Amino acid sequence: MRKAMIKAVSDMIKNESDTSLFLVDIGVWAFRDILNDYPDRAMNIGIFEDGMVSLAAGMSLGGIIPTIYGISPFIVNRAMEQLKLDFAYQKLQGNFITTGASYDFATLGYSHYCPEDIGTISMIPGFEFITPGTAPEFTKLFEQTRRDAHPTYYRLSDHVNKTNVEVSFGKATVIKAGSKATVIAVSTTLDIVLETCENEDVSILYYTTLLPFDHETLKNHYNGGKILLCEPHYEGTLTYEIYKTFENKPIQISCVGVNREILRKYGSKQENDMYNQLTAKYIYQSLEKLLN
Amino acid sequence: MNNIIKSIRTRLLEISHLGQDGNLQSCFSSIEILYTLYNGVMNWSVENAKSPNRDYFILSKGQSSLALSAVLEEKGLFLNEELNTFCKFGSRFSMQLDRTKFPDGGIENSAGSLGHGFPMAVGLAYACKIKKNGGNHIYVLAGDGEMNEGSMWEACAFAGGRMLENITLIIDDNDSIGKMLDLSPLKDKLSAFGFAVFEADGHNVDDLKSTLNKCRGISGKPQAVIAHTIRGYGSQTLMTDNSWFHRSPDSDELEMLKKEVETFEKSDD
Repeated sequence: MRKAMIKAVSDMIKNESDTSLFLVDIGVWAFRDILNDYPDRAMNIGIFEDGMVSLAAGMSLGGIIPTIYGISPFIVNRAMEQLKLDFAYQKLQGNFITTGASYDFATLGYSHYCPEDIGTISMIPGFEFITPGTAPEFTKLFEQTRRDAHPTYYRLSDHVNKTNVEVSFGKATVIKAGSKATVIAVSTTLDIVLETCENEDVSILYYTTLLPFDHETLKNHYNGGKILLCEPHYEGTLTYEIYKTFENKPIQISCVGVNREILRKYGSKQENDMYNQLTAKYIYQSLEKLLN
Repeated sequence: MNNIIKSIRTRLLEISHLGQDGNLQSCFSSIEILYTLYNGVMNWSVENAKSPNRDYFILSKGQSSLALSAVLEEKGLFLNEELNTFCKFGSRFSMQLDRTKFPDGGIENSAGSLGHGFPMAVGLAYACKIKKNGGNHIYVLAGDGEMNEGSMWEACAFAGGRMLENITLIIDDNDSIGKMLDLSPLKDKLSAFGFAVFEADGHNVDDLKSTLNKCRGISGKPQAVIAHTIRGYGSQTLMTDNSWFHRSPDSDELEMLKKEVETFEKSDD
């Protein structure tokens, strides 16, 4: 997915003179041609994230659409106030592409993890949040949103789905319709959801845009109010959106996702998935419990 | 003190009284700076407030929002005493301004949290530079206390490193920083970051005007003007009683403070 991102962003810089790219000292080698050819608009600005996000907002004010690429927590946590006050509050457009997801950089420890990014960004009204599951999905969603009027956060992971889905900004994709429950597969959880739920009598909805949340598609799949929510970030983050969808209707939600704790295990991404029970086996068990 | 500036100070007292809130010490400290920018320095008028060729003013020290509002009212941007709604529910005006409420221009940024406006202004200056907009200059007003924010120095590093000659940082130096982590001398630090640094009497319009107009001709460097000011300048009470940092006058205090402003004399006026 990173390669697709580098191509899409490079093409943007090449072809659109009102765009810019700031790197937070990552991707410098991969973006070397663009940094070399367009030094005024593409730069490895270095390691000062909060000032950089404000600078980017000023550029947006001046008619240059900024894109920032960095590791998730150094943008969403370090520069949270700048995202909120300089972009959302002032209604300025900008793109924030992050790598690392929840714990892709497992060996680097908690400082480089960000299972809370969607929870944090969802507290800033007006932000868009996109979490593609594959490279082509990123390319399409970036194309659809990178020049819109909102600040947009793109959550990239190095661990992508094998299944590529036709996605569209702001819309969930109905993978299949069923009657006994609805399984919400967010981003990179789709493969393990399909592995366990494909042959069950359940609806499977695939979400790559989390903000704004597509309530309409979910509303059409009530299925007795039984919802299994599978998220690659902190578990239960999207429960508010589900409650909002089914206001005044009884619902029962079961959550699979990253444990709400400080993660200290290191190891690999897969080992952390096992630890957090972000697995096909646990999804199956959760679905069984929900149905019985 | 000239009569227009006196009348702006009086107006600030009245609005603060009506809205029952105010940072009057900060506003009084910066009023000559704001007045000078909009009268003889910036390429700005009510008519060109949305022109792409205008100069921009970015308020980084949000505590002076009311002072900016009053100066722009005096320029004719706000009509029908709309400013009397200051801080009322649904008003466009509050202690910190929200740029989205001013679609016709005049308020270029939303202030409030310190350490944001100047970095944004640097980004704006850089955008203007790479778009080759044709001469817009960016003026920013920051507080000296605000210079304790790390983001201010991050922005200084970028402005100096990219040699942004189209931005002037004005520091309303009313010695707030002396009560905090004291970064003085600011002049040396700003010079080290690549700024052309000037000092001015922040309550002397002529001195401010000539200093700010000198900045515009500087080549290859951002500029900083350290404007020496006094908190609450223009009223003996506001200058000496720090409880006025954040409060508004009641009816009796309003009359007393208005008299002080009316009779205030500066030795070199």
